[in-house]
Amino acid sequence: MAARISVSRMPPSPRRIRKVLIANRGEIAVRVLRGLRELGIRGAVVYSEPDRKSLPVLLADEAYPIGPAPSRESYLRGEAIVELAREIGADAIHPGYGFLSERAEFARLCRDAGVVFIGPPPEAIAAMGSKVESRRLMIDAGVPVVPGGRDPLPDLEGAAAAAGEMGDPVMLKASAGGGGKGMRQVREPGELAAAYRAARSEAGASFGDDSVYLEKYIEEPRHVEIQVMGDLHGRIVSLGERECSLQRRHQKVVEEAPSPAVGEDLRRRMGEAAVKAAAAVGYANAGTVEFLLAKDGAFYFLEMNTRLQVEHPVTELVTGLDLVAWQVRVAEGEPLGAEFDDVRPRGHAVEVRLYAEDPYQRFAPSPGRIALLRWPQGPGVRVDAGVAEGAEVTIHYDPLLAKLIVWAADRERALARLGRALAELRIEGIRTTAPLYRALLADPDFAAGRLDIGMLDRKLTAGELTPPADEAARDLPFVAAAIAHLERASRTAATEPAAAGGRRSRWGEAGRREGLRGG
Amino acid sequence: MELVVRAGEREERVRIARAEAGYRVTVGEQTYEVDSVVVAGELYSLRVGGEQQEVWVHRREEGRYHVSWPGGETEAEVADPLTVLARSAHGPGGPKGPRRVAAYMPGRVVAVLAAEGDEVAAGQGIVVLEAMKMENEIQADRAGTIRAVFVTPGQAVEGGDPLFEIG
Repeated sequence: MAARISVSRMPPSPRRIRKVLIANRGEIAVRVLRGLRELGIRGAVVYSEPDRKSLPVLLADEAYPIGPAPSRESYLRGEAIVELAREIGADAIHPGYGFLSERAEFARLCRDAGVVFIGPPPEAIAAMGSKVESRRLMIDAGVPVVPGGRDPLPDLEGAAAAAGEMGDPVMLKASAGGGGKGMRQVREPGELAAAYRAARSEAGASFGDDSVYLEKYIEEPRHVEIQVMGDLHGRIVSLGERECSLQRRHQKVVEEAPSPAVGEDLRRRMGEAAVKAAAAVGYANAGTVEFLLAKDGAFYFLEMNTRLQVEHPVTELVTGLDLVAWQVRVAEGEPLGAEFDDVRPRGHAVEVRLYAEDPYQRFAPSPGRIALLRWPQGPGVRVDAGVAEGAEVTIHYDPLLAKLIVWAADRERALARLGRALAELRIEGIRTTAPLYRALLADPDFAAGRLDIGMLDRKLTAGELTPPADEAARDLPFVAAAIAHLERASRTAATEPAAAGGRRSRWGEAGRREGLRGG
Repeated sequence: MELVVRAGEREERVRIARAEAGYRVTVGEQTYEVDSVVVAGELYSLRVGGEQQEVWVHRREEGRYHVSWPGGETEAEVADPLTVLARSAHGPGGPKGPRRVAAYMPGRVVAVLAAEGDEVAAGQGIVVLEAMKMENEIQADRAGTIRAVFVTPGQAVEGGDPLFEIG
């Protein structure tokens, strides 16, 4: 039975958007402002108290306070934001990513208030928001999901039959389980019987319930996702994939397009699956369908992100499409144009996320004032930043400062360009993840495009990816510190003779004597 | 000027003097002719034989710097040799209890920068000594209270004479 969500295809009174309220902060607020300005649309932002001097506020046409620092009392105040949009005459709200972007009730609130929500319909957000529900919808729609299920296996014969259907390798998991207890990997059919008995007894001992289930085990998979765009007239297209396997504790840090592992045929098949997934929930606007890509080329639906992604620029650079501009046009009711026919990637784009975190202190947050900031420039370099020099990085929000994105004709040249851009980047006063990316560029697996979702954590745990010592500049800190020290000493001597506490210049002493004599 | 600089695990004697092109800096046995300009604020461009390095030298507090350049970064502590010797003369003996800091060599007291009862920070200059035609700041090697100052400006001191007591 098809569990297709039916959504009215009639755009809710298509209208020109003249002013947009951005319900976000940081780099994505800046990105949306840029898109709006190019379309000749006024951009308004909301800001929390510590964000009064932030870059989006400085760049926006209009800016309105929305509350104190905590997100709950500021950027997450959905009702207040919709109310503000009505007050200031904004036709639409752009939610960015995070915050309110994937809250179906917020999208509904906008619709009820007659404000265009620049994103998918609330029904699509809700359907994709539940793991269980979306998995069921995907199975019905014929989108591949990781085979398996939580139904307990009746006996060894049942396990063997199920394993045979899935193909090797498989994973036995405790139905009541968690924490790795009762889990057994089975690489070939001969191992099944022993693993089944071991998993059952361990599950029984750990959880008092010895039932186990089977799931396909995907070894060192990649994270590959498909960008889709849909209009309000039922057309949904794939804009190709992004490779996002480099993650630290499930947080993406480096993304690229196209994926080194995806050829034309796989791209077409993944694109078709993604469009099917989006269509199954009546999707419109920009969205991303995430897949696990196995080594054998099989791919499995993970989830759909019903919003603009952080890493959308790599798709923009290889397709030449402005996703934010199209989000607005689609929301106005415009159909996807001819530029969406047969989209193919051109060249190669790589993005690194610059976080205010110390990659060599377990990614500890590094708040503080950005004392010095110089972005890389030049051919093929794009910087989407939410901060400028002098900005105070607080601990209240996501530590993403900026994204550095490069484009070149092929992957090798894109990586060379990334190295060049990272060498130009200068940021002082806070620590960032930039040194990690400089080290990553020297990693042979990254250079060869041999990536999987566990790779970065493995390498970091093994102590790899540390910056090499600059042997050529061994004495440089000694020379530099000595010069700075001497110059400060002479400045202090020149400008603060008395303030130093009792040290007096000859002129000062002469003056004192004069004064004493006069008195 | 002679300094003792510690950067990371390494400690070196550094001699620095103004020279025609900027500075002549000797780190250990190696001497560099350095052309140094301030680009902006705490950002320096240093040239040694044409090789350019752009270095950010951020002063954290007196005598402590964060040095950062495209190839790396480190914390650097800069002290004058007399302070270092005064420190070592009193040995590594723990930071507990008042400590009397003495002049290491004969000289003349140029200035006294703190008074009895002052709360001082680690690295803060307490007494300025002139010895061998060089002024050297004797610093507090830890935060504390100045218990006593034994010298006055202009006074000549012998090596080993107490200068101040910190507790």
